[in-house]
Amino acid sequence: MIAQTLRHAARLALPALALTAGAAVSVAQDAEKIVIEAGRVVTPTGPIENGVIVIENGRITALGAADEVEAPWDAVVIGGEDFTAMPGFVEAHASSGLDRANENIDVAPFLNIRDSIDPVAYFFEDCLRWGITTVNVQQGNNCVVGARGMIVRPVGMTVEEMMVRPEHGLKMSVAPKTRKSRATQLQTLNRAFSDLRRYLEELVQEKKDGGDRARREALYQGRDLDGENAEGRAMGGSAWKVEGLELVPRGEIDEKQEPLLHLIEGRYPAYIYCRTPMDVHHALDVARENGFLARTTLVIDDGCWKAADVIAEAGVPVVLDGDQIHTERDSFTGKEKETFVPGILHEKGIRFALSSTNSDTDSLWFQAASAIGFGLEPEVALSSVTQTPAEILGLGKEVGSLEVGKHGNVVLFSGDPMSITSWVEHVVIEGREVYDRSKDVRNTHLLDGTRPPGTTAPVDEE
Amino acid sequence: MRTSHLALSLAALAAAPFAVSATGSGRASTTEGRDYVAVKAGTIYLVEDGQVVTDGTILVQGNRIQAVGTDVAVPVDAKVVDYGADAVIIPGLVAADTTLGSGSSSNRTAEPGLNAIDNFDFYSSFAGPLSSGVTTAYVKPTDQRLIGGSGALVKLHGEDPERRTLRAPATVHGAIHSAARNAPGYWDPPVPATVDVGIGYEKPQLPKSPMGAIVALTELVNAARGGVDLEEEYGPYAAEGLREQLDAGVPWRITAETETEILALLDFASESGLPVVLDGASEAGYVSEEVAASGLPVVYGFPWSPNRRGVDRGKDDDARWPSYDVPAKLLAAGARVAISSGSTSDLLFAASAASQGKLDPSAALRSITLTPAEIYGVADRVGSIRAGKDADFVVLNAPPISLGATPIATWVDGDLAWDFATSGARGLAEEMGMTRDPRSGTVALQVDQLYLGDGRVLSPGQVVMRNGHIISVTEGASSPPGATIVRGAAAMPGIVDAMGHLGLEGSSRVPGLDTRMAQILAPGDAADRRVARAGVTTVAMAPRGTGSAGSPVMAYKPAAHSTNGQVLGDPAAVRLQWTDSSNRRNSGVAVRGLLEKAKEYVRKWEEYEEAMANWTPPPPEPPKEDDEDEDDEEDDDDDKKDDDEDDDKKKKKKKKKKDDEEEVEPDPVTGIWLGELEGARLRAQLKLTVEEGGGPIEGNLRCAALTDGLVEVAGFYDAEAKSVSLKGLGSNGWVAIEGEYSEAKLKGTASVGETSMEVELERTSRDFVVAKRSERRADKSDDVKPPKGMPKAPRRDQKLEPLKAAMEGSATVIVNVDRDDEILECVELFEECGITPVLYGASSAYVVADHIVGRVAGVLLSHTVRQGSVGTDTVNPYARLQDAGIPVAFHSAAEEGAIDLPIMAMYAVANGMSPTGALRALTSDAADMLSISEHVGLISVGRDGDVLLLDGPPLSPGTSVVRVWVNGVEVE
Repeated sequence: MIAQTLRHAARLALPALALTAGAAVSVAQDAEKIVIEAGRVVTPTGPIENGVIVIENGRITALGAADEVEAPWDAVVIGGEDFTAMPGFVEAHASSGLDRANENIDVAPFLNIRDSIDPVAYFFEDCLRWGITTVNVQQGNNCVVGARGMIVRPVGMTVEEMMVRPEHGLKMSVAPKTRKSRATQLQTLNRAFSDLRRYLEELVQEKKDGGDRARREALYQGRDLDGENAEGRAMGGSAWKVEGLELVPRGEIDEKQEPLLHLIEGRYPAYIYCRTPMDVHHALDVARENGFLARTTLVIDDGCWKAADVIAEAGVPVVLDGDQIHTERDSFTGKEKETFVPGILHEKGIRFALSSTNSDTDSLWFQAASAIGFGLEPEVALSSVTQTPAEILGLGKEVGSLEVGKHGNVVLFSGDPMSITSWVEHVVIEGREVYDRSKDVRNTHLLDGTRPPGTTAPVDEE
Repeated sequence: MRTSHLALSLAALAAAPFAVSATGSGRASTTEGRDYVAVKAGTIYLVEDGQVVTDGTILVQGNRIQAVGTDVAVPVDAKVVDYGADAVIIPGLVAADTTLGSGSSSNRTAEPGLNAIDNFDFYSSFAGPLSSGVTTAYVKPTDQRLIGGSGALVKLHGEDPERRTLRAPATVHGAIHSAARNAPGYWDPPVPATVDVGIGYEKPQLPKSPMGAIVALTELVNAARGGVDLEEEYGPYAAEGLREQLDAGVPWRITAETETEILALLDFASESGLPVVLDGASEAGYVSEEVAASGLPVVYGFPWSPNRRGVDRGKDDDARWPSYDVPAKLLAAGARVAISSGSTSDLLFAASAASQGKLDPSAALRSITLTPAEIYGVADRVGSIRAGKDADFVVLNAPPISLGATPIATWVDGDLAWDFATSGARGLAEEMGMTRDPRSGTVALQVDQLYLGDGRVLSPGQVVMRNGHIISVTEGASSPPGATIVRGAAAMPGIVDAMGHLGLEGSSRVPGLDTRMAQILAPGDAADRRVARAGVTTVAMAPRGTGSAGSPVMAYKPAAHSTNGQVLGDPAAVRLQWTDSSNRRNSGVAVRGLLEKAKEYVRKWEEYEEAMANWTPPPPEPPKEDDEDEDDEEDDDDDKKDDDEDDDKKKKKKKKKKDDEEEVEPDPVTGIWLGELEGARLRAQLKLTVEEGGGPIEGNLRCAALTDGLVEVAGFYDAEAKSVSLKGLGSNGWVAIEGEYSEAKLKGTASVGETSMEVELERTSRDFVVAKRSERRADKSDDVKPPKGMPKAPRRDQKLEPLKAAMEGSATVIVNVDRDDEILECVELFEECGITPVLYGASSAYVVADHIVGRVAGVLLSHTVRQGSVGTDTVNPYARLQDAGIPVAFHSAAEEGAIDLPIMAMYAVANGMSPTGALRALTSDAADMLSISEHVGLISVGRDGDVLLLDGPPLSPGTSVVRVWVNGVEVE
C-alpha cells in the first residue's frame, strides 16, 4: 500500500517538475541594442509597412520604415517581415499573481502588495504569452481599504526585478465585502477617513500639550525618526486639512494611518472597486469628500454602465473589471437585455481600460478583439489595452505605444493581431527579449505534445 | 365615504365603456417643467381632510400637482389620460416600514452613522412595490440593534437620486424589542496584536432586557447632550452621531412590540423629551389610552406576513395573540397611527385587514398615506393629493380598503412609473398565451346580484372573463390583478332566442339538412350588435318553415367578433314538421318516413362498427423461432429471472401441446385459416367451442370470390368424421364451406348460392383474435390506404347525419306539432328511435304534460302566453309546463324582433310564471334544448363569456341592459 502511494506521488511529481522547467521561459537576453524588424509596425500615427524598431538601453531610439532607419550593426535582430509589431499591452488593474488576493482586516492600507506578489506565478508567465508587458497589481476587490499596489513587468525572479513603480495606488472598495452590507461597507470606508482625521487631530493636540506618547511609541516600534521623518509637514489634502500637522514629525505618525494620509496628500492614486451603479455614486462621493477624485480610477463591474453619466461628469477613468456584455433580466417578463459596456463608456467620453480578468481569458488582446467584434472602433479598442491604461497608471510617456523615447516594450505577432489565428511570437520588454514562442515549453507540450527536455512521460501502473 | 361609494357605483353604471384613452407608452414625458398632464378618474380620494372628488381631474405640471378637482381648467396642450368612471385614484402609498435599505448590522449596539440610504439602490427596479401602489418607502438600516442607524424616506421611481431622496437621515432608527436585544459583544482586535497589547476580548454590550435597553438609550441621550463620556461603552462615534441627529431634530423611531416595552418606551420618551415614534406596537391595543396620552405617533406593524405558514405564539393564558383592531383602538383613543406591512407589496391589504374594530376606511387610507408622511416629516411633498405636492398617485380599479382593489397604474413625480397595460406583467401574460385576442383582456364583473341562469343568485357576485370564457364565478369580489373591473347592480347570462330568423335577411327559402348555414354568416353587422345590446346574445337560426325532409337550425352568436366565435352548432338542431294542418291524416307521415330512413342509416353504421370490431388486421410476420434466449441466462435481476422462468414454462407448455397434437388434436379448428379460391385470397377466422365429439364453430370469413364484405359464419365440427361445415349470409347469397380436416389442413368445397368450388385451407395461427373497438376518426385522409380487408364504411349522408346525431343524443330535433293527440303519437315515435324531441308550437302540450314529461327535451310554445279569455279560463301554458317539470323556452320567430324576448318573458311572469323560471327559460333551458348548454346559457366556469350587466333585477320593470359582453368582449 505504501509503495503504491509512493508511486502515485512520483507520478504526480514528474509533471510538476516539468512545469517548473517550463516556467523559465523568460531567458533574459541582455543585449544593449536590439533591432526588431516587422512587416507591419503599429504606431500612434498609423502602421508602418516593413518597419524597424531600434531599442537601445531599454528605450526606443529609432522607428520607421526599413529603408529609412539605420539599424546599428552590432544589434541583435529579431523578427521578420511576417510579423506585426505592437506595443506591449498594459494591464491597468489585476489582482492576480498573488499568493492571496485579499486580507480579512477591513481597513488595511498599511499592507503592501509587494509582500504578496509571487514572481513565479503562472499569471506572469501567461502575461508574456499574451503580450502583456506592464501589470498594475492591486489587492482583490473583497476589501474596504486595501493594500498599496505596485506596477510590475511580468518578468523577473524577484519582486524587485519586476518592479516598475513601487507603492502605486491604494485599493478601496465600496462594494460590500463578505458579510457586509453596502451601508456597513460605506460606514467602514468613511470611518477610515474620519478615524485618520481624529487620529491626526489628537496627535496635534498632544503635541501642543507637550505630550510624547507618539514619539515613544515610534521609538518603541523602531520607526525611523531621522532626516525627513524628523520634520513635520502641513497636510497637502485638498478637501480637508488638519491644522498644525506640521508640528508632528512624520516619523511619529502611525504606520497604520500613514498610507491614507499619503493618499489624501496625493502620493498615490486610488483604485476604487464598484460593483453596482450605486457604488459609483458612493465611490465618487468618498473621493470627493477626501480630495482625491482627480487621482481616482474606478474599477467597475459591467452593471456600472448605468452610472456612465455620473462617471463622465466626474471625469474619472475606469477599468472594466466585468464582462463586456452586461446581461440584465427583467423580473416580470424574464426577458434578457444585453448591453455592450465598452460601447457605452466610449459613447459617454469616459476613458476606459479593458482588463484581462473580466472573462474566461487572460488575454487583453482577445478582449480588444472581442470589443471590436461587438462594434467598438478598432483604434479605441486598441487604445483601451495599451495607451489608455498606460495613462491611467501614469506611464503614458513610458509605455503604451511604439514611439521614440518610450520603453522598448514590443510584441511581435505572427499575423494580424486581431485575428484568432495569430500568435504572440516574441515579446521584448525594455529591449530584452523575454518571450519566444518557439522556446515556450508549456506551449509546445500543449500543442505538439513535445515533452519538456529532461522529463519523461508518467508511466501507468497497469 | 359610504355615500361616495354609492355614487361611484351609480357612476359606473351610467358610464360610457371603460377606456383608457391615452396612457402613453411607458412613461409620460415630464422632463420639461412646462408639460401638462391631466389625469381623470371617476373618483379621487384626496385624503386631505377625507375629501373625495367625483369625476375629478388631477392637473400635473412637471412633477407637481397643479390643481385637483371636478372643474379643473385643463390647458389646451395638456395630455389627457382618462382612466374612466370606474377608476379610483388615491395618493401614492407611503410604506412606513420596509427592508429596501436593510443590510447587515454594525458591531456596535448603537451606530447612528449607519445610513440605510446607503443600502438603497436607486438603480433597482421597484416594479413590485410600485405595482401595488407604494411610491414612497421608509428604508431602515436594521432592526437588530438598539440604535441600528438612520432611516430615510425615498421614492421608488425616478431618475435623479437627489430628488428621490425625500429625507435622509429621516430618523434615528432604533429598537428595544427582543430582536434588538442580543447585540454581540464588541471586539476590535488590535493590529498588530503583540505581547504588550494583547489580542483583546469581547466586551459585552447592552441591552439584553427592556430595562437594559432603556438604560442604554438614556445613557446615549445623555452622552449626546453632552457631559458624559461613554466612548468606552458605545465607541467614539455614537454620541457624536446622535448629537447631529438631535440637532437636526429627526424623530426617534423605536420599535417596541410588547405591552412592557411600549410602556417603558413611553416613560423614556416623556423623560427624555425626545420626538419618539413608536414602531411595531403589536400589543398597543392593551395600552391604547396610555399611548394616546403620550401623544407619540405610532407606526403599527401589521403583525402578519403573507405566503407563510401559521405562527405559534404560545398556549399560555398570558400569551398575547395578535389582534387586528389595534389601529382602530389607538385611533379611538386619539393617537396618530400609520400602518406598515412587513411585505411592502401588501400595504393596501394590510390596511384593509388591520381595519378590524370598525376602523373607518378613510382613516385606514390615511394611515398608509398622509399619516406616515406626517410622522416622518415629508408631508409637504407626499401623502395626499393636493396642489403643490408631488404628483404621486395610484389608479385603482376599485375603492381602496376593499379586498381586490388593485392598481391599474402608478404615477410618481408626474411620471407613469408603472402601468398594467404596458408592464411586464401584461407582457408575461401575453407570452404565456393568456390573452391571445388583443381585444379580450380580463374583465371582472362585480355585481350586487349575479343571476347564474339556473335559478341560483350570488349576491354579491363576481364573474371573471378571459379569452372569451368565464374563468371564475365567485360570491363576493376578489378582483384578479389587472382585470378591468366593472361594477353594477346585476348580471345574468346572455339570452338565447330558441328559434329566430336573425341573419336570414328576409329569405324564406328552406334549405336541406345538408346545407351549412354558417356560410351566410359575417361578423360585424350593426343590427346584430343592437340585438345583442338588447340582451339576446345567442340565436337559434331556423329557416322560415320546414320541408318534409326537415330543415337545419343553426345556433350562433350574432354579435361575436369572429366567424369562429359566432357558430355554436351547425346544425345545432333539426327541425321537422309533424303536423300537416291541411290534411291531418298526413300528420307525421313524412317524419315517420324520414325516421325510418335515418334508422336504416344508423343501422348500417352500427353494422359497420360491429364489423370493424370483429375484423382483425392481417397478422404480422410470424416471429422467428429464437433459441438464443438460453445463451444469456445468468442474469441477477429477479424480474428477468421470473420472466425467464415464465418463458421456460411457456416453452414447456408449447412442447406439451405439440406432443398432444401429434396424438389427438383437441381443437383442430380455432385459428386463422388461409387459402385461395379462383385467384382470390380466402381468409377465415374461426373459433371452436370444444365439446364431446366436436362442437359449434363461429367466426368470420372473407373472400372476394364469394362475397363483397366480411361474412359471419357459423357451423359445426364433427370430431369423429373430422369434418367442418360452415354457413353465413354474404352479399351474393349464402356462403357455405364443407370440408374435412386432415394434417392441419382443411380440404373441401366452398359454395356461394348455386356455384361451388374446391378449396384447400391452411391454418396459420391458432389464435382467435378479438379486435378492439375501433375508434372512429373524424376525417381520415384518403391517401392512407386502408389495410387489406378492412370493413368498408357506409356512405356518409349529410342529410341523415343530423338525425343520426339526434339518435345518438348529441343533437336536437325540433318537431312542429300542435294538437295533444299528435303530440302523444309523435313523442311515442321519437321514443322508439331514442330521440327526446323539442316540441315546437305545441300549445296544448300542457294538457298532456303528465304523459310527455321526461320524454321531451322541452317545448317551444307558440307565443300565446295567456290562453283563454277571462278569469279562471285563462291558462299560461309556459307556467303550466314548467310547473309540470317540462322545460320551456322563449323564441322570437323573427329577425331583429328577438329583442322582444325579455318583454315576452316579463309578460309571462306577469301572468303567473315564476321570475326564476322565466329567466331559466330565457337562458339555460333554451341552451339545454338546443344542446348548446356547454357554451352558453349559464354563468359558470368554462362557459363562453356572454354576460349582460343590468341595472336592476332581471325581468323586473325598470331594469335595462347596461352593457353586454359576448365571448368576453364587450359589444359596443
